Amino acid sequence: MNFDFSEEQKMLVQSLERTLAKTYTFEDYREQLEANATHAPELWASLAELGIMAMPLPESAGGFDGNHVDIMAVCTELGRRLVPEPYVSNVVLAAYIFEATGNDDKLADIAMGETKYAAGFYEPGERHNVLALNTTATANGDTYKITGHKAVVLGADTADHLIVSADAGGASLFLIPADADGVTLRKYPLLDGRGAADIILDGATGVLLGNAGEAADIIEAAADRAAAALCADTIGAIEEVKELTQEYLRTRTQFGRPIGSFQVLAHRMVDLLVEYEQMKSIAMEAAVEARNEDAAVRAQAISAAKAKIGAASRLFGQESIQMHGGIGMTDEYSLGAYVKRMMVNETLFGDTDYHLHRFANS
Amino acid sequence: MDFSLTSAQTAFRNEVRAFLNDKLPDDVRDVTKAKGHLNKEQYKRWHGILAEKGWSTPLWPVEHGGTGWSPVEYAIFDEECHAMGAPRVLPFSVSMLGPVLINFGNDEQKKRFLPGIQDGSDWWCQGFSEPGAGSDLASLKTTAIRDGDEYVVNGQKTWTTLGQHADWIFCLVRTDPNAAKPQTGISFILVHMDTPGIEIRPIITLDGGHEVNEVWFTDVRVPADQLVGQENMGWNYAKFLLQNERIGIAGVGISKNELAGLKRLASAEKKNGKPLIEDASFKTKIAEIEIELRAMDITNKRMLIEAERGMDPGPVSSMLKIRGSEVAQRIYELKMEASGLYALPFQPHAGDAGWNDELIGSLTNAKSAPIYLNTRKISIFGGSNEIQRSIISKMVLGF
Repeated sequence: MNFDFSEEQKMLVQSLERTLAKTYTFEDYREQLEANATHAPELWASLAELGIMAMPLPESAGGFDGNHVDIMAVCTELGRRLVPEPYVSNVVLAAYIFEATGNDDKLADIAMGETKYAAGFYEPGERHNVLALNTTATANGDTYKITGHKAVVLGADTADHLIVSADAGGASLFLIPADADGVTLRKYPLLDGRGAADIILDGATGVLLGNAGEAADIIEAAADRAAAALCADTIGAIEEVKELTQEYLRTRTQFGRPIGSFQVLAHRMVDLLVEYEQMKSIAMEAAVEARNEDAAVRAQAISAAKAKIGAASRLFGQESIQMHGGIGMTDEYSLGAYVKRMMVNETLFGDTDYHLHRFANS
Repeated sequence: MDFSLTSAQTAFRNEVRAFLNDKLPDDVRDVTKAKGHLNKEQYKRWHGILAEKGWSTPLWPVEHGGTGWSPVEYAIFDEECHAMGAPRVLPFSVSMLGPVLINFGNDEQKKRFLPGIQDGSDWWCQGFSEPGAGSDLASLKTTAIRDGDEYVVNGQKTWTTLGQHADWIFCLVRTDPNAAKPQTGISFILVHMDTPGIEIRPIITLDGGHEVNEVWFTDVRVPADQLVGQENMGWNYAKFLLQNERIGIAGVGISKNELAGLKRLASAEKKNGKPLIEDASFKTKIAEIEIELRAMDITNKRMLIEAERGMDPGPVSSMLKIRGSEVAQRIYELKMEASGLYALPFQPHAGDAGWNDELIGSLTNAKSAPIYLNTRKISIFGGSNEIQRSIISKMVLGF
C-alpha cells in the first residue's frame, strides 16, 4: 500500500509545472478569457511536446502506456493553472473510446495533439443520465444518419471530430466530422473559460465506432474516467484556494490584528483543511480504480470520489469567498476563477447528487 | 500509488484472524459484540492473552516489547479486532503512560512499571482533568508539596475513566505554585490507589453507565521516586502523551464495524413494509457517511505513513481525531435513528454479562440511544475538537 506518485510521475509534474509557470500565468488566463478564446494552439502544442498527451496512451500508438494515476498527476496541474485546453475530452474520453472500440489507429494523432475530438453523451432534459438515448441513428449503407441533441459537450467548440452516443438498437457510438452537413454547433465558454458546445444533429452522417447497441459499458467507463480526471483537476484548484485563503487570513488585518487570529475564522479554515485531506484521499482512490476491470468496483470508487469532492469543493468555494470578504467577490482576483473551475468540475460527468445515489444503490 | 495489500500484509491479516479465532474467549466476544460493558476480570483476561502473544503493546519501541508494526499493519490488526468482537486494550496504561515512562522515566521506573502495563496486571487510570481545568488543563490546582522523601498531594481529579478498577493513577500535579507560567509548575507523578487519603466517587453519565469518576486527594503521601522525569517538567510529558497517540486515534476500525452494524440494522428495520435500507432518504444518509469513512480510511493510512517520515505529528493526530470522531458520532446517530421508536425504552445494561431482563426491542435498538449518548464524549475527551482546531490553526496559520 502506498500513496505516492512515482519518481516518473513527480518528474512529469515538475516539467509540466515549469512549462505552465512560464507559458500560462494567471494574466495569460485572464487575457485568453477576455479574447473569448477557449483554446490556445501554441499552448496545446507545447503540452503535446511535453508528452502529456502521449503519456497515458498505449505504446503501439506512440504512447508510454501510462495509467490513470499519471492522468491524475497531469490533471491536478491543469486545474492548478486553470488551463482551459481540452485535455480530458481528447486524452481521457476520445482515446479510451477509440481503444475500446478497436480504433487504435486514431490514437497516434491524439498523442501528437494534432486532431481534436470531443465526446457527447448527455442530452437536454435528461440531466446527468449518461445513457440518454433520445438521439437516434439509422443505418444508411456503411454509415448512419444521426439526429438528436447533445448537451454541454466539453471541448466540442474546438473539436475537429465529434463522438456522440445514439440509439441504434441500443447505445452506440458514432464519429462525425464537426463540419459535416447536418451538424450545428452552438459554441460557448463555460463559467471558468473552458470551451463547450451543444451539438444539434439533423441527419448528420456518422461512422459507427465498435458494435451497434453494445456501447453502454464503454460510455459508462468513459464517463467514469473523465469524472476521475475532473476530481484530480479540482484537487489542483483546491490546493491554490487553500493557499490563497490561508495567506489572506495571515496577512489581512482588521480591528488591528490578522483576521486569522479570530477563532471563528481559524476554525473554519481548519475544517477546510480536514476536508482537503479527505478530498485528496478519495481522488487518489478514484485514480487508482478508474481503470479497474470490475465495473462495479470502478463505479463505486468513482461515485464516492465525485460525490465527496463535489460537495466538499462547493463548501470550499463558499467558505473561501466568505473568509476573503469583498476581495473574494472581484473578478480580478484569482480566487473566483478557481471557484468557477471547481463548479464546472462538480457538475460535469455526474453531479454530487447523481453520484451519491449511484453509490447508495451500488 | 497502489492501494492493495502486499502479500506480507495479507498473510498478517490471516495471522490476526487465526489468533482471534483461536484465543478470543467466547464470553468476552459476546459482550463486546453486544456492545455491553466488560467487567474488570474480562478486560484483564483478554489483556493477558494479548500479552502472551506479544501483542499487548504493539506501538512501543521493539526493544521495550513493541511489535514493530507499520501503520498499515496496525490498521489491519485494529480492523480485525473490531470485526471479530475482540475488545481493544484500554489506552491509559499502554498508549498513554507507557510511552511517557519509556521516554522520560528512569531505569528503575521502567523496570518497576512497564512489565505490569505489558501483561495487564496493573490497572492504570488517568488523573489529568479537574473540575476547574478541562480545556484549560494547565490551570490545574491539585498540589504536590515536597516533604522529605515524599510528596503530599491535595486536590481533586475528575472524569477518571474506570478509576473504580484501578490499581494506580498517573497524575498531573502542581509542584511550583509560584511558577511564572501555569505550564512550568506542573509535574507528572504516579500514585497507588490504595494510598491513604484517596477517595473515589462514581459519576453516572447520560447513558446510565458508570465509566467515569471523581478522585479526591487529601494529604496523600507519595514516595518521591514515583515522580516521572524532572520536577516541574510534567507539562511537556503531558503534551507528548496527548500528541503521541495518533495511530488508532481516527477509530477507523471501530467505525467500519459500526457501519456494517448500521447496514444490518437498517436491513432489519422496516419502513412502509420495506427494509429501511431501501428508503431513498435513509439510504442516502448511509451513503454519505460511508463515503466519508472510505476517505477517512485512506486519509488515516496516508497521514500515518507521512508522519512516520517526519511530518509533524501535531496536526496529524488533531486532524484524525476531529474527523474520526465526527464520522463515528454520525454512525451512532444513524443507528439510533434507524431504531425508531425502539431507541426509546431505556435498558442501558442490556448485553452486559449476567444481564437477564427481557428486551423490549432488539438488543441493537436497546443499545442505540445509550451508545449515541455515551459517544458524545469522543469529541470532548483527550482535548476537545475545538482545542484540536486551535492546535492545527496555530501550526498552519501561526495563531
